[in-house]
Amino acid sequence: MAEYRVLLVDDEEEFVSALSERLMLRGIEVDSALNGEEALARLVEKEFEVVILDVMMPGLGGLEVLRQIKSTHPDTQVILLTGHGSTREGIEGMRLGAFDYLIKPVDIEEMLEKMKEAAKSVGAG
Amino acid sequence: MDKKVEELYRVKEIGFMGKVSASLSHEIKNTLAIINESVGLMGDLLRKEGSDDLPQYSRLTSLMASIEEQVQRSADIVKRLNQFAHSMDKSLAEVDLNETVNQTVILAQRFANLRRVTLETQLESAPLHLLSDPFRLLYVIFGLIERAINCSPKEAAVRVKTHRSGEMFQVTVTDQGTVTADEMRALLSVSPSAEGEHRDSDLAILAQTVEFLGGTIGAEQEDGGLNKVVLSFPERVT
Repeated sequence: MAEYRVLLVDDEEEFVSALSERLMLRGIEVDSALNGEEALARLVEKEFEVVILDVMMPGLGGLEVLRQIKSTHPDTQVILLTGHGSTREGIEGMRLGAFDYLIKPVDIEEMLEKMKEAAKSVGAG
Repeated sequence: MDKKVEELYRVKEIGFMGKVSASLSHEIKNTLAIINESVGLMGDLLRKEGSDDLPQYSRLTSLMASIEEQVQRSADIVKRLNQFAHSMDKSLAEVDLNETVNQTVILAQRFANLRRVTLETQLESAPLHLLSDPFRLLYVIFGLIERAINCSPKEAAVRVKTHRSGEMFQVTVTDQGTVTADEMRALLSVSPSAEGEHRDSDLAILAQTVEFLGGTIGAEQEDGGLNKVVLSFPERVT
């Protein structure tokens, strides 16, 4: 079992469900949220070392959620998911304090590696 | 209609096309991500202990690997579509001519493959930053590469080169086709009209767009009989 907890935030339910299961099969403790508001509420209830956060979501967008996470939970590392071929959002996210970004569709091994590095940087993993 | 108003309408229309295309490409990326995770999960479940006893196990894993490959291929295509769509974001932006040529060559690759023509690039080693209309720049370079592909014999090569010449940034498209430099010059000077929407006016329309971008276009014959079209652009559209 990995020694860090992950919050997966994306408005695509099937994506969240399949990816959560894949991460759990690899021994990672995963919670999920289908929008930004739900994600912020989850972070109040429970501590997560890593948040995987989609940039383009209806309602509270990923970059705004990132801003709020970094202001209330500065030690939580955020890895952004961007659907765009362009990495503009990813770069803007890095400026706002994201640990890194990944472009969809994601390679799970690459994601695991980045999550591990992110968790390690906050003394977990 | 006033020329400036006409131009504003055109910019807005192109912007609309870019915005919708970029948004659709984003949606496609999301569906590809779902397919990718779903097939990945199927693979994970199949690989679980004991699952290799299942009949057709190796066939199923090989089919899943093929789906994953096609997802990646589609993601690369959508990336191209997305970049193309974003070229319509602004009618004036800083671009690196080398990147624009690379992007155009990627977009033209399929057209070249269909005619069994090879595309070769030879880019200036330093970036060539200029302030221009990214979409129109892409349009003229693509138009010239496409023309070169269409007039090339099978198995021939079309070479696209960038370089700096004094204050100007140049793109040279060289082909092995049979259209001579003199014929090219004649085609470039045709006056395009609404009735003239036929092949012969394509080059003249491209020439007008080059002019709009503050540039020039010319045809030359290289030693050895190769034909080349040279586009020259200023550092910024005036």
